[in-house]
Amino acid sequence: MSDIYEQAKLSVINHDKAKAMDLAKKHLDSGAEPMDIITNGFVPGISYMGEEFGRGTVFLPELMESADVMLTVVEVVNEAIAKLGGGKTAGPVGSIVAATVQGDVHDIGKGIAVAMFKANGYEVYDLGRDVPVEDLINTAEKRGAKVIATSALLTTTMVEQQKLEKTLKEANLRNKYITLVGGAPVTQRWAKRIGADIYAENAHLGVVLVAEKLKEFANKVAS
Amino acid sequence: MSKNYTRMGDGSPVELTDAELRKDLEDGANDAADRGKVPSLTEEDYKYLMELFQRKDRFVGVDVGNEVVLTYDEGTLKLKRHALLEDRLQALTIYERLFGADTIELCHVDYSYKPVKPIVGYEQGSLEMALLMTHAPLLYGAMPNLGLYTQPDGPCPNPMELLPQGKIKEARESYEAIIKDSVKDIVFASAAMHESGADGINFDTVGASGDPDFLASLLAMEQLTTKYPGMAIEMGMAGEFVLGTHGDLYYDGTRLAGLYPHGQVVLAEKAGATIFGPVVNTNTDRSIPWNLARTVVFVRACSKAAKIPVHANMGMGVGAVPVWDYPPVDVLSRASKALVELCDLDGL
Repeated sequence: MSDIYEQAKLSVINHDKAKAMDLAKKHLDSGAEPMDIITNGFVPGISYMGEEFGRGTVFLPELMESADVMLTVVEVVNEAIAKLGGGKTAGPVGSIVAATVQGDVHDIGKGIAVAMFKANGYEVYDLGRDVPVEDLINTAEKRGAKVIATSALLTTTMVEQQKLEKTLKEANLRNKYITLVGGAPVTQRWAKRIGADIYAENAHLGVVLVAEKLKEFANKVAS
Repeated sequence: MSKNYTRMGDGSPVELTDAELRKDLEDGANDAADRGKVPSLTEEDYKYLMELFQRKDRFVGVDVGNEVVLTYDEGTLKLKRHALLEDRLQALTIYERLFGADTIELCHVDYSYKPVKPIVGYEQGSLEMALLMTHAPLLYGAMPNLGLYTQPDGPCPNPMELLPQGKIKEARESYEAIIKDSVKDIVFASAAMHESGADGINFDTVGASGDPDFLASLLAMEQLTTKYPGMAIEMGMAGEFVLGTHGDLYYDGTRLAGLYPHGQVVLAEKAGATIFGPVVNTNTDRSIPWNLARTVVFVRACSKAAKIPVHANMGMGVGAVPVWDYPPVDVLSRASKALVELCDLDGL
């Protein structure tokens, strides 16, 4: 069984969609727990790609191709689960509204983060760049998102992240959302100062930290 | 047990024991060596860095005889950012006469080649005035800033919107069109400023949009130095490795995506750069000793590979300087001293 997981991991790394589909079908035909191949094979593959992207050995188009493979196999596994009459599906893990803040047109980092979240099974509403705080909140409310993620590349636009926190509080919505901040001049210190829930140094870390926070959030709601 | 006062990459204070300090230095150095496939630090380097961080001095400087040239980028904008009421020509004289700058740089508030194009005539006039008022070599600088060529700010579809949709071919085609447009603008504006008497041109924050940005800069430099042999061009990078946003771009047979400073400088030289400014990003979650050891490994490898002068970038968030508007002098001076004395630098 571990061999098929290893092959699944490699199919994502090599962005080999045909191979990934073939492995997913084989796994489903074997009668094994459908989600296992996602958790033990495809997810480690996309995580590896995220880490290597951060090291400069994997490039953005390759990362996107791997993400595409990931999304396709998740769909196949989910369809199989639905046919079997329900059970735990692979997603979406959570929903996120993401944007580069108002006054800022730097969207490379935000684009990478969006791709990484999508590849990891999140439903992402990407509002683009130069986006006002009000649009972020309205979209989150309309779509029922759990996370609001903002990116700022300039010291002069970071204040928009602070404005988001303030506006959420004023609207009595702060506890409803998990806020994530990122961008070149943004730090943990800044996140703490403005009251953001998560600071992520890079896109890969953002995915890891949001997953942890969502779990925490769910436990809090359950208790 | 005595502790050594230093800072984290976000500038917050932290105290490390000798053992923690040594471990951070080793981890930072090994991280760079592993990523860049270059030699890590020697025992002698560790001794130097341990002593540097164990010193109680608030401020340190290089030993007599180790002084280097200080060049400044974005020179006429930085003072204004701190609300000093001065115009650009006054800023240049402040840098030259008060800050001891060895080179000075005139730039436009948008700091990108594209917006300079329609106002180049005004910039030429300002440059000529500045040349009459100052003595130090005067550069004209701007960023390639390829983002300005994408919709809605420019004519090309935004690759960063196309890529997450899986439209890789379309994103790459857009980048290739952007490269052509930006090279034209960079060459046009740089040539005009050169002909007005600029002592050099600074290509700043190269690679900010990834490998297309780096390629556009190399191609523009090649055209400029072909047209004006001997033209001085400083190339300052945006990040420690070239982000592969296109992923399949080559210069002189070398794939640009993923190149670290020691690979970047070789291509910069081939294209005609006369000064190279490597960048190593500061990780805000790690300590300054970790960041500095890492920076020394990358910059030393760059310096060894270079035939042209290397002036490492030192500033907010780069060169082991904390991500902070007002970098604390204790770590800023330690990072500067170590880079100059361990990396055989020509300037900062």
